[in-house]
Amino acid sequence: MLMAVRNQIKVIFLSIKYALMRELLNKTTFLSNVIFMVLNNSSMIIQWLILFSIRDNFGDYGLKQVILLIGLSSSIYGFAHFFFEKSFKLSETINTGKLDAYIVQPKNILLSTITSDIQVSALGDLLFGLIVYLFYGFSFPSFILYYIFTMTGGLILVCISVIFHSLSFWFNNADLGADTINNMMINVSTYPDSIFKGAVKWLLFTIIPVGIANYIPVKIITSFNPYLFIINISVCLLFIVITFIIFYKGLRRYSSSNLMSARI
Amino acid sequence: MAIIEVKKLSKNFKVKLKEKGFKGSIKSIFKPKHKIVKAVKNISFNVEKGEIVAFIGPNGAGKSTTIKMLTSILFPDKGSIKVLGLNPMQDRKKLAYEIGTVFGQKEQLWTHLTPYDNFKFFGAIYDIPDAAVERKIEELKVLFELDDFINTPVRNLSLGQRIRCEIVASLIHNPKILFLDEPTIGLDPVVKENIRSLIKRMNKEYKTTIFLTSHDVGDIEKLCKRVIIINNGQIVLDDSMENLKYHYLNKKIVEAKMKEKINLDDEDGITILKDKGYNLKIEVDTTKRSVADAIKLLNPDNIIDINISNIPLEDIISNIYKNKD
Repeated sequence: MLMAVRNQIKVIFLSIKYALMRELLNKTTFLSNVIFMVLNNSSMIIQWLILFSIRDNFGDYGLKQVILLIGLSSSIYGFAHFFFEKSFKLSETINTGKLDAYIVQPKNILLSTITSDIQVSALGDLLFGLIVYLFYGFSFPSFILYYIFTMTGGLILVCISVIFHSLSFWFNNADLGADTINNMMINVSTYPDSIFKGAVKWLLFTIIPVGIANYIPVKIITSFNPYLFIINISVCLLFIVITFIIFYKGLRRYSSSNLMSARI
Repeated sequence: MAIIEVKKLSKNFKVKLKEKGFKGSIKSIFKPKHKIVKAVKNISFNVEKGEIVAFIGPNGAGKSTTIKMLTSILFPDKGSIKVLGLNPMQDRKKLAYEIGTVFGQKEQLWTHLTPYDNFKFFGAIYDIPDAAVERKIEELKVLFELDDFINTPVRNLSLGQRIRCEIVASLIHNPKILFLDEPTIGLDPVVKENIRSLIKRMNKEYKTTIFLTSHDVGDIEKLCKRVIIINNGQIVLDDSMENLKYHYLNKKIVEAKMKEKINLDDEDGITILKDKGYNLKIEVDTTKRSVADAIKLLNPDNIIDINISNIPLEDIISNIYKNKD
């Protein structure tokens, strides 16, 4: 069992390494993708600096908390899209029959599929997240927590994407719904939860779980709460279990395809 | 001992129907209609260890669906499958270590990487230690003559070279069975021939059982000792290549463009299919007369261009049906 896990991890990292090798073939594009993503994300900080010049706080969020939220959201996005890029394009993989290549391999189908590509600009998001965190203020415990939540948040983001994209096993064009949910997750993740009320807030802690992935971690990093920490980890694990159940349930309905395709 | 056992296997697909035009698109939103396509209907067969079996049929006959069920890709609706004693649906990972697959229409290789890097990646997928992978690559490099392009990115290879690399990648883990789904599709005759001889050599060297789907009669003629023909999801023939040749592949089509008109009539072993003066199409029954004899009759000096081909698979199938009736 342990050997199987070790071998699976080895293949995942090899897959990421090869995808990175492909991107590095064109150094200029690679570097510009990363740098422009850092610059693009910096505009969010400027926006909030202007807003905080008008008001001192937004709900219970001061400037420092907002900066932490933006940094964490950027890291979460970067982690999810760098390591699991294909989870955001899973419908296409299912609809065009490209899952075949992963099914015939003696590895976990879902993990092999979603880790088979990277998004280079996500490295820019990860870098930006690190810079913003250092700007927020380094301490060893908060640094550890920051990256634990980067992973749990990233995994939740990936799970939501896989769950909605897996609906492609049942419906045509499920990718539209999945993309909408993914975009909503990203769009609201850089705004403090205190500005959302009622049904929207409920949504943010359930179907679009930005609350669990982003807001709760900011609260824990600023003031550690073991209860919230356990909730965050447990919900992340729950999402992983649900994701695997739904994907493998759908896989039984997989109809493959004979479309010509290449692995690029 | 049967290495593949298929019993009463069936697979249906639900296909959405849409009436033509924009109106049809709107209608299909509110009143979606579906039809059930029976891709594979209650088929049974066994494959013995070391055999090269051709599983052939026209497009849409159910070849790929069957091969996909044998390799765990598709779940069957009914029936049972045992490949090396394993159930492809329940023992997917175990089975994957024992089989290799090549889909002519789909690339499994990373196109930006060299074949060598790809083979190393496949070695990792099958948990093979680095030294063993190196040894295997070296061995297959010689067998498949990859020396000239093993360090060229796959995207820069010709289709024939790529298919060779796809086959090598599927052999890295010494599979007991190799499933080849139309491996010669889109290849020119010379490359096709080359791939066929490599497949034959591989079967000889490693005793690999080969299950090959194709709609190219040439593939089966050159490679296989046994043929299973599938049409409309049903097996219409499961016989030895020898019998198939004797009963159904005993005819060749000769199309010739002549310098001068010749007068040729139907005679023993020769049937005139088309005679447009300078263009002639004849069917030669090779059990009665050799193709060389037929060409002599046409007078080789009088021939500008000539094409010799097998009778189309569709004709063989209709002949099989006729003989059954």
